[in-house]
Amino acid sequence: MSLNPYLPSLATIIETFDETPDVKTFRVVLKDEAAMRAFRFEPGQVAQLSVFGTGESTFVICSPPTRMDFLQFSVMRVGELTHRLHTLKEGDPIGLRGPLGNHFDYESMKGKDIVFIGGGLGLAPLRTLLLFMLDNRADYGNITLIYGGRTPEHLCFKGELAEWAARGDMRVELTVDNPDKSWSHRVGVVPAVLTDLAVSPENAVAVTCGPPIMIRFTIQALEKLGFTDEQIVTTLERRMKCGVGLCGRCNIGGKFVCVDGPVFTQAQLKELPQEF
Amino acid sequence: MVARFLANSALADTAAAWARDFRLLAPVREGQAVVYRAWAKDMHPFLGRPPTCSAKEALLPQTENLLTYTYRKDQADLTRTEVFVAEPLPPEPTLLLGARPCDARGRKLLDRVFLERGVEDPLYAAKRRNTLFVTVACERMENTCFCHWTGGGPTSEEGSDVLLFAVGADGGGYVAKALTPEGERLLDKLPEASRAAQEELAAKLASPPSQAVPGPAPDLSAAPERFLKLFGNMDFWMDESARCLSCGVCTYLCPACSCFNITDENSGMKGKRLRTWDTCMSALYTLEGSGHNPRVSRAHRLRNRVGHKFCYHPQEFPKDAGAQPEFSCTGCGRCIKSCPVSVDIRRVVLDLMEKGDAS
Repeated sequence: MSLNPYLPSLATIIETFDETPDVKTFRVVLKDEAAMRAFRFEPGQVAQLSVFGTGESTFVICSPPTRMDFLQFSVMRVGELTHRLHTLKEGDPIGLRGPLGNHFDYESMKGKDIVFIGGGLGLAPLRTLLLFMLDNRADYGNITLIYGGRTPEHLCFKGELAEWAARGDMRVELTVDNPDKSWSHRVGVVPAVLTDLAVSPENAVAVTCGPPIMIRFTIQALEKLGFTDEQIVTTLERRMKCGVGLCGRCNIGGKFVCVDGPVFTQAQLKELPQEF
Repeated sequence: MVARFLANSALADTAAAWARDFRLLAPVREGQAVVYRAWAKDMHPFLGRPPTCSAKEALLPQTENLLTYTYRKDQADLTRTEVFVAEPLPPEPTLLLGARPCDARGRKLLDRVFLERGVEDPLYAAKRRNTLFVTVACERMENTCFCHWTGGGPTSEEGSDVLLFAVGADGGGYVAKALTPEGERLLDKLPEASRAAQEELAAKLASPPSQAVPGPAPDLSAAPERFLKLFGNMDFWMDESARCLSCGVCTYLCPACSCFNITDENSGMKGKRLRTWDTCMSALYTLEGSGHNPRVSRAHRLRNRVGHKFCYHPQEFPKDAGAQPEFSCTGCGRCIKSCPVSVDIRRVVLDLMEKGDAS
């Protein structure tokens, strides 16, 4: 990797597919095969994807470091860069800067029960850690995934949800706000399901990501269940440009989400000025 | 070190001589403003008052290239496109003439971010290594100046390679004091300052005119704690920011503000990725694609600017206990002087000190 932190590596899209009407998944490899073989990252780290001529934006690497055939990114179409990104096809060149940021502390989670709580595309960073844990299954206790979306159509990674539910070594609870006729799982918001399941905080860690409003009520629900601030882990999003702690905008008080995060425990977040 | 003399009558020729070895940025009058411009023939450097813009342009240009890219058709398969990326050329050796001591101290604060925070910024580092500052000491402080609040002063040497002191002796000019070996080399063609000029300077420094420093500096050592105490008091921040227009001039003119944006500028099959100054006073600065904005009001944004300068920066770069904290502010007063609605950061900080103490 270049010493210039602004210089992206060139990469090629090898596969794209739609997750939902506005989320597309991209599988990407670095153009330089040796660089791809040497690429190392940790679950929870992010990268900047470039479409030269439009700009750059930050996305979590949502495939685990245990599966290095490609790097996967799932992108919601919301702004200029993501609109442009959604028009790209297999074989198109892009730029990639990364890995950036900190990561999930999976070492300290060993031997514990893990509760993943995700909403919408918030499942992307959880997917990285979940697959990493499934690839090292013996290191962890019970694994539960509680995942919700607005409608069945808005759930990401649909094929895998069924696969995970069928594995037998993890529990999957799905919920939507607005079901359709074919929906056979839960109905209601994620924090309500969490409360309903009465997940035990005993030797457990909760890892959550989703829209800000979901995270807020999920943390309240976890606290009611008896989870301490150290047992609640979340990963934040902020507008970012440089990704290396210099351009300024992603600060929460004196911390920068791009280098001090994106992964924080609730205990760490409580230390910061409350500006979310 | 020998004190040299730069006569007013020799200023243009000396600058022209420097311009042969350096990219010379010199202050010139343009309308009401004094701005730095790249040296051109027949230019008249104006050192009579502090430049309107800060000197950060020399190290962190308003716009600079991060990289260039070119798309080309793959000749083996014309349905495919390849992209090529190139880094910018290294910067030329630069000399900045006419900064003020507050600007020179700003270099240290920019170093904190671009060299010391974590990742070294290679573009900044390259410019920093080959940029010299020939600074003009201030004879008096203006009513917007408060460099003595933040550890500086009108004749502070920090961050300069040469410091020029205005004198009336010998037909008028500057006693030039080299502060670094590079600065000394700049001066080696200039005559030694006369005894009269040196004595005039010594007398001036010994008894500065009474209006030179406007009032004693308040003790701001508790500013970081007072800020955090008032962080959640939105009434306080609404009051302080009530007039703010979010125009951002305070941050653009600030010698210590370093936030930047990165954008692509496309032209056909090629283009540039640019770094430009950005401002935390703009709502767009933190606006996310989803529409969520963590700093949705002017009150949130002013709080961030003041917080960064007087709380987050001193916490990130702590001084020894008991010492004055290092603020990300050199007290140059440009944000006060150029604010269209007279928001005064000194007032905000004094209000912090007072109201943050009450609870």
